[in-house]
Amino acid sequence: MLPRRRSGRLALTCARCGAQNPDGNQFCQACGTPLTAAAPQPAAPAWTAAPPQGPPSPPASTAPPLAYASPPPAPVAYASPYYSPTGAFPQAPVHRTPWVLILAAIFGLIVVMAGCGTAIALFNSGKASVTGTITSDVPSPTPAGSPSPVASPITPTGPTASDAGMTVPVPAGWVVDSNDNEEITLADPSGAGVITVASAASNPASTAEQQKNSVDQDFTSRYPDTKTCPNTKTTTGSLNGPQGIFWTLCFTLTSGSQSFPAAASMFVGVNADGSVFYGVILLTRQDNLQSFLTEAAPILKGIQWKLK
Amino acid sequence: MRCDHCSNDVPDGVFCTRCGAHQGTTNEIGNAKTREHHYAAHPGEHVAQPSVFTTLFPHLGHHKIHEFRWAFIAGLAGILVLYLAGLISAAILVSAFLVPVLYLIYLYEAQVYRDEPAIVLGFTLGGGIIVGIVATVFERIVYNPFQYSGNPFGNAGVSLGGLLIVGLLLPVVQEALKPLPALFLPNRADFPETVDGLVFGVAAGLGFSLAQALIGFSSVLTSLPAHVAPGNWIYTLTTLAVFLPLLQGSATGMIAATIWRYRRGRLGGREIGGVAMAVLAHIAFSAGTELMKETAVNALFVLIWQAAIVGALLIYIRYLLHHALLEEAAHMGYAETVCPSCHMHIVASGFCPNCGMALTAAPSSIKRGRRPRVESHASPSEKR
Repeated sequence: MLPRRRSGRLALTCARCGAQNPDGNQFCQACGTPLTAAAPQPAAPAWTAAPPQGPPSPPASTAPPLAYASPPPAPVAYASPYYSPTGAFPQAPVHRTPWVLILAAIFGLIVVMAGCGTAIALFNSGKASVTGTITSDVPSPTPAGSPSPVASPITPTGPTASDAGMTVPVPAGWVVDSNDNEEITLADPSGAGVITVASAASNPASTAEQQKNSVDQDFTSRYPDTKTCPNTKTTTGSLNGPQGIFWTLCFTLTSGSQSFPAAASMFVGVNADGSVFYGVILLTRQDNLQSFLTEAAPILKGIQWKLK
Repeated sequence: MRCDHCSNDVPDGVFCTRCGAHQGTTNEIGNAKTREHHYAAHPGEHVAQPSVFTTLFPHLGHHKIHEFRWAFIAGLAGILVLYLAGLISAAILVSAFLVPVLYLIYLYEAQVYRDEPAIVLGFTLGGGIIVGIVATVFERIVYNPFQYSGNPFGNAGVSLGGLLIVGLLLPVVQEALKPLPALFLPNRADFPETVDGLVFGVAAGLGFSLAQALIGFSSVLTSLPAHVAPGNWIYTLTTLAVFLPLLQGSATGMIAATIWRYRRGRLGGREIGGVAMAVLAHIAFSAGTELMKETAVNALFVLIWQAAIVGALLIYIRYLLHHALLEEAAHMGYAETVCPSCHMHIVASGFCPNCGMALTAAPSSIKRGRRPRVESHASPSEKR
């Protein structure tokens, strides 16, 4: 098993496979057979045994399945059946970071971020408020439960968008996003919000309360944290004729990777026999609701319902 | 013994230490040469097992894997506690940072960056953050969620324009941008193996995910009160803490690994399929999520969809990495070392003869512990 040193070339020939190895190698580059059998350390196993049938377990009591040419002494806890380390080349430790430190880092992250998040939230608490609701006397809110005065629609003089159910004024700068037989959606010039006006036959006939519940359910399904905005009230009244309900929902609008605290100020109403539905939604950021209501006031006042 | 598959004389073992083939398994179901029942980075698992940590944290031995799993579970438990306490702002922040911080610890633990942590971390994690900021700002310019949000009066409920932007345009742009930091790593020649490319890509993807989450939720963070009713925030937090970072990290890791394979001259159908898989998975994740949200599908189904996409992506990464490791580890020379998976002292070439782990996926500390070889005869991978 001893390697043969070839004179003049400082090369070692593997006794097992005959491959030439550079001087200084302790293992054959071709087959891995140790080339340092003459070293005083415990010998590595000679690769003569049949392979073990499965991964051996590490404890010392496990008998190695291989037959060793020169069994090493057992100064350590267990002996690998594949190789006995000589000690000449100390191995780097397998574990660098103690598990306690890994867990501590995660707990530290939680504590620090919890502190930061709470501090940010406390800082915001003084300025976070939502005010404003669509009412028949736009934009000032009306007391809860009291019918709003019926406002007379203003006949629009400028550009309008129209479909089978309504005519909606389009002030300068506003863009018609969509217009079909039942609804018209306008986007404001800055892109800070949209207003949707809808009207259609309702089959079967329904009440305004039923329409409101349907809209609430849709918002709750779509935006899981939907709730009635604090500092706003649900009222009844009319919008340019039809009787209905006014209220405002707050929720987190997440779309793509963007997430905003949004508010939808809404009106739903029906005609006298419940066969026609009327609806308006103003959708914008929560902190922009009041100014958006003011901006949209000319549109709300100019809506003309065609279905009676 | 003589390997059944590469016909080399190799030390006795369950696996050939040169080609990694499983020995004496001709009667077993499956190909002993490709041994897909023994994933090369963690031989105790099948390649088709969608395990997060053994896929994206390939340098960890099985003891360390468990420690990282427990740390991740502890982080998720912390998020759950914050959620139940109504501290949603805090929960959002922990969710955004959890996986990137775990990965940072992993990079330190495995010393993947070897002697140049500043350059590697700067170009991967840091570069990913910068690209994430740029991409998220770009998204805000081209996509106004108010404009495309469906309304309960609408018949269709889904805006096709919004779906095309969120579900197609943005994922493609993001997948084109995210690998750039890893691609321009100045000392990339020092890290030629595919497993290095995968890890750097994952790090860049996680940096991107962190920036995307923080910028995307900045409006919410600066408007939520200290305590709010937990409501159904748990769904959003789960996506933010688990599925979004895993998607971004996995997709970028796959593309970066493919680029690394290309640099080795090993670009094949498997690698091209990997890029296609990454882009398609991102499109499916984003479009599916948006579609289900707009059609008011139960949020639990959204999470199941996201989990299915991420699981499929992880399995393809394992498939790609497994074959890359089998091929690349075969070129290593012999050395005495300790297997990071089974902890046996071994004399091995590219694979542990006991458990079959590809030793190119060993942590740097163990690679450094391999016996030095004579430079003139060492293989390129050993000269590092």
